[in-house]
Amino acid sequence: MGTLEGKVALVTGGRGGIGRAICDRFLREGATVFAADLSAAGSLSSPDGESRFVQLDVTSEPSVQAAMAHVGDEAGQLDILVNAAGIEIEKTIEETSLEEWNHSFAVNVTGTFLTSKHSLPLMRKAASAGASASIINFGSYDGFIADPGLAAYCATKGAVHALTRAMACDHGPEGIRVNAICPGYVDTPMMQSFFSGDAVGGTGKSEETLRQAMRDVHPMRTYGTPDDIANLVNWLASDEARYASGQLWVIDGGLSAQVQQMRL
Amino acid sequence: MTRLAGKHAFVTGGRQGIGRGIVVAFVSEGAAVTTCGRGPRPDDLPETVAWHTLDVTDAAAVAQVVQPMDILVNNAGVQVEKTVAESTDADWEAVIGPNCRGVFNMCRAFIPVMKRGSIINIGSISGQVADPSMALYNASKAFVHGLTRSIAVDHGPRIRCNAICPGWINTGMLEAGFDLAKDPGAARNDAIARHPVGRFGEPEDIAAMAIWLASDEAAFASGQLFTLDGGMTAASPLNPGLF
Repeated sequence: MGTLEGKVALVTGGRGGIGRAICDRFLREGATVFAADLSAAGSLSSPDGESRFVQLDVTSEPSVQAAMAHVGDEAGQLDILVNAAGIEIEKTIEETSLEEWNHSFAVNVTGTFLTSKHSLPLMRKAASAGASASIINFGSYDGFIADPGLAAYCATKGAVHALTRAMACDHGPEGIRVNAICPGYVDTPMMQSFFSGDAVGGTGKSEETLRQAMRDVHPMRTYGTPDDIANLVNWLASDEARYASGQLWVIDGGLSAQVQQMRL
Repeated sequence: MTRLAGKHAFVTGGRQGIGRGIVVAFVSEGAAVTTCGRGPRPDDLPETVAWHTLDVTDAAAVAQVVQPMDILVNNAGVQVEKTVAESTDADWEAVIGPNCRGVFNMCRAFIPVMKRGSIINIGSISGQVADPSMALYNASKAFVHGLTRSIAVDHGPRIRCNAICPGWINTGMLEAGFDLAKDPGAARNDAIARHPVGRFGEPEDIAAMAIWLASDEAAFASGQLFTLDGGMTAASPLNPGLF
């Protein structure tokens, strides 16, 4: 018996690195899963079932409203919303154009705002059925401490952290729990992009050298996998976490417990 | 479920409250559990659970019970409801002894014999924000938080170490806090209104997180403080809705 049996979940960025792992885990736990993303690249099937694809641009209010209407028609309620859609611009503020800045906020912050806002009627239906509904936002350890050359990204994640606490205060009395996951380094296309980006790509070191340096700086001597993050998302989505709300859950292999900084 | 099958756990302070909740939850997940307290074995402790009568402030006594463990939960703790000016030397010993020296004694003794494992310390929201008239307790929990990070950094990747920071949990400790109020009933209602989830926590809520942190699912979680407080500290203490 899965931990999410009978629950309905929507995962934004559901075709991306971490979002895909979350969808697969939710399927394994018995949930009905809507994988929302810009495009349906790759298979929606996992050994435990198939996600239902929802075309979604989180920066567009009509697109968000259409996606929620679709979920309402198909499932009637929403128990779990995971706001995993996100982008990362690897630049300092000096290099960041206003357009890039606005796009970062549109996806990472406005997207979280829009999907959460328009999910509320469906989440209240799930919560009124006796169990709590759970919104899980994606913050980042970069919302607490900065990585070089990630200015807009760091700022968006700080905004998501504050929004998470505010939503928890406002909607807790309706039975909706709100938390944010704050991953450290996780092996995803986004991390791959970081290795080849301006921040470290100019060092002339091989990718494997950079990856080993990154492993070495973690107390757990490894960076995370999407499954590591999905494990915590699954816990926060489940009824076991019924007392967890308003928190920022850092999962980073011990990286930010130490003073030492990355030496790439 | 058996998420902790084959694992051996040592939980300090298993007589009552959060510690007992963790002991019971670990047993139901298939772990072999050893627990301890300063008094004799409680009559209602499940038969399969091993008991040591142990004062964790006594390093020599701790050394007597050391054995290889997969999971160590440092839950034993004491609170004294006083300000700094009111606190006596005896209060210092009563609080700092178990909450700081006790956690240190246990970690120092068990880390060398744990091949791989997860240490879970019970910190508190009081280590992050101060409860009034709880000076030594607040400070002792900040010590636990700092020690947690140090163990994660120094003893990873062999040992993962995290702290759970409970908010207001329905235990004897919570009752003792309300007994300080002029009107305990009104204080209780006011406190519940400050929780976005609309209730206090139960030991089972904390045990649910302890199971996760003890399990292999938490393989990438280390060095962190995980707050479980029903949303209370996400809100400003100045809560205009309550005026």
